[in-house]
Amino acid sequence: MGEPGNHGHGGRSRTEANLSGEAGHAQAASRRRILAHPQDWHCVIFHFVCLAAYACAFWLYQHPKLVGITGWWSRIAFVAASATMLGWISGIDVGVNFHNHSHRPIFTSHLVNRWFGRLWTFSGAWPSFFWEYCHVTIHHANLLTTKDWTLPKKRSDGSFENFQLYLFAHWPWRLMAHLSRELTMRRSLRRKSLRELAIFLLLWSIPFWIDPVMAVWLWALPHWIANTFVMGSGMYVQHSGCVEKTATEPVSHSTVFVSDFFNLTMFNIGFHLEHHEHPRVHWSELPELHRRLKQEMIDGGAHVVPYGNYHAAFLLAGDTERRKRFAEQDPGYRSR
Amino acid sequence: MEHISHNFLLKTGQVLGRSFFPFFAITVIAGAVLWGPWVSLAITVMAVAAALRLI
Repeated sequence: MGEPGNHGHGGRSRTEANLSGEAGHAQAASRRRILAHPQDWHCVIFHFVCLAAYACAFWLYQHPKLVGITGWWSRIAFVAASATMLGWISGIDVGVNFHNHSHRPIFTSHLVNRWFGRLWTFSGAWPSFFWEYCHVTIHHANLLTTKDWTLPKKRSDGSFENFQLYLFAHWPWRLMAHLSRELTMRRSLRRKSLRELAIFLLLWSIPFWIDPVMAVWLWALPHWIANTFVMGSGMYVQHSGCVEKTATEPVSHSTVFVSDFFNLTMFNIGFHLEHHEHPRVHWSELPELHRRLKQEMIDGGAHVVPYGNYHAAFLLAGDTERRKRFAEQDPGYRSR
Repeated sequence: MEHISHNFLLKTGQVLGRSFFPFFAITVIAGAVLWGPWVSLAITVMAVAAALRLI
């Protein structure tokens, strides 16, 4: 935002849209501010409420009588409800909330950004550096090319592999294979990766010191749900049916999800095409960018749908008939 | 005074909206104290089904 330049270590050079006109005052103001953008306090609140949800679930698990756990079945009911809800919010907290931080760090201090990042992604089973590497260095810099191994594999006709196969094979299996190969190639990268992994393991193991059985069901299980069903399905639906950006198809690399409720509660991640075009535009300014680019997207034939990622996942996980419904365009975005 | 209360309501609404899912998760988990684990599980199943159908 307001800083034309290269995004990401391996990223292509892009000129960013300046929506708030903050560029001229950014440096002076940053000396006084803790947060880089006034709206970023929502990111901090979101993360702390997520941690509070984990703490609440752990405490209640340790005090079963309070929640009416009287035997195995009632314990299973409590764990199933809690693990699902914790996985859901962790998927958003890392896959969307930290994701924004990886593009535009939310604090003005580098040290605070680094440590808050580490304390952010451990509750989604990720070392922050690994997540940033996957998302910025691999996904954004190589979107839909053969080098973008964060996305589903492609069939010979260019379509994505089966939805369920991607969800269950990608995290952590494919990821670990790619990361262990790429992060150990260069000595400097290897050293940094090992340091970040050690810090992550130290933080991630905390619930296991409290109660190993509880940690499996209310810590590791939610992380599997977060990565497989929330983040995995998100990655799939955002680029399913899309093609690599070219001069003839400049806006067909991502789908746009325009549900108001979805974007309100998901940090505007539905404006995904706009986000890939201008990754350093602040999440709170994506609706404005969407309004500005709307005609360009309609003229370019961008795929726009009236719902969010969740319904898209429901459609793409289904049979041929249901998958066809995903290809339908929002009536407000059809070219005349 | 009216401006302050309007501003307060606006900010509260924004916080609840942006962090809707984590607040909802806490309600479901902590709510088990009031209504027990089976109702929490039923709310979770309905919430997931509603999300997949509507958003």
